[in-house]
Amino acid sequence: MSVEQAIYPRGKMAGVFPTLTNRSDEAYVEFIDDARKILIHAQQEPIGAYSRGLIEKSELSNEDNGPDTTQDAVELLMQDSVLKTYYRVKRSLQEAFWSGLKDSLDERRAEILAALDETDQAGPGTLEYDPNWADSVPEYADCEIHLQPGGNMSEALAGLYYDYGLKVFLGGAADNDQLAKFIAMGAAMPDDGKVERILDLGVGPGSSSTALKERHPDAEVWGIDLGAPMVRYAHLRAIETNADVHFRQMAAEDLDFPDNHFDAALAVLLFHELPIPVAKEVIAEVYRVLRPGGKFTLLDFPGSKTSDLYSMFFAQMDALDNVEPYLPEYRRSNVEDLLVEAGFELEGYDHKAALSKGRVAVKPATA
Amino acid sequence: MAKVEDSELAYTRDLPGAVRSNPNYFDNEVIDHLIGIVLELGAQSWVIKDRLAFLEELLAKQGSVSLDDLEQGRPSEELQAKLQTERQAMIQKIYGRLYSSYGGDTADPLSAPMS
Repeated sequence: MSVEQAIYPRGKMAGVFPTLTNRSDEAYVEFIDDARKILIHAQQEPIGAYSRGLIEKSELSNEDNGPDTTQDAVELLMQDSVLKTYYRVKRSLQEAFWSGLKDSLDERRAEILAALDETDQAGPGTLEYDPNWADSVPEYADCEIHLQPGGNMSEALAGLYYDYGLKVFLGGAADNDQLAKFIAMGAAMPDDGKVERILDLGVGPGSSSTALKERHPDAEVWGIDLGAPMVRYAHLRAIETNADVHFRQMAAEDLDFPDNHFDAALAVLLFHELPIPVAKEVIAEVYRVLRPGGKFTLLDFPGSKTSDLYSMFFAQMDALDNVEPYLPEYRRSNVEDLLVEAGFELEGYDHKAALSKGRVAVKPATA
Repeated sequence: MAKVEDSELAYTRDLPGAVRSNPNYFDNEVIDHLIGIVLELGAQSWVIKDRLAFLEELLAKQGSVSLDDLEQGRPSEELQAKLQTERQAMIQKIYGRLYSSYGGDTADPLSAPMS
């Protein structure tokens, strides 16, 4: 069986995603996808307004978003029937989505694993990972983030699960890799225009890495992820578009690259998945491997300084409901402050564009 | 690989969400189960509706249909668009009432406000 037949037996979904095994599986996931759009996404703003109203009527203040007050808000708001229903529906749909996806892809697990084996050594581009990857997952990363079955690190099909998850969770924004291309086009590059090497951290399915290569075809692009299943799938995906990208299983907090090696670095939605001690080490490592004048674009949620109590309540709920254990402390870290503490100069940051333009940090030319 | 000491990360084991749990949101957990069951029933009934519509389309086009056609194929783009409209209307009609009491986008206009 060819790689194409193993991963896309019924053609690609939305241009780039792996196919579900049969039409019934697809219909099931389409229902869950639409239910999420109608019952979760479309409700976010009205539910937010409703919740803020409940906070205003209570003894709490939306302006005070400290950890204790956030816990008080959880206890207050989760007494409310509407919010209980909203979070129950959200959780049940998340579980149903993963269950439908896993059951479908597992039907052809052997064929997909064989396809990954076949492409490991293929080019263009290169791939390196620990063959004993399942035994080397750091404890902090060994959790089922987003409720994804087996998590990103310990499940051999995690790359496919995660990729299809992006299709559903981003409500179509990731279709045809359009979001990855948008992000890659916006990633900051050094003012002197010299771009020979780019580092993409926590790449997941690697679509941002291949988009960076498309933008800078003459540059070396390196994509790293802690999860071996992720870089294996990213490599497979890159080969399809003939993208010459180097994928490595590597901890972002322990980069195996020389000092001053890269001209630019990018991290998309990585930092809220890291405990703060690890996040600080990642920033220190990115600072080390960037050359003076090099730029780091960090896309992730805004911090607590620009968030109200309801936003922090939402993050606290996501920690437990959606296995995002590090999201609350990430938001409280105000990661732009951590970048400055590490020696970066913050070139630009608009918290309203935290997820689209991100924080741009520059390693000073004098460093 | 680890560059951060384990002792620095010991606290993470106790964070909410570090270990997957199955939280209940209602005091009576039966309500949690019922909402999950009702959503699942909706999804399963949609699968049958989708399959029937696809079967009818194939029969109208081909006169006969194989199991492989049904499972490996995909409805025409026209039918997929029609099915999407029907699916979204079904979700709105069945589940919109869940949020009636706060007047969200899917509120059922005939629902009585929560006292």
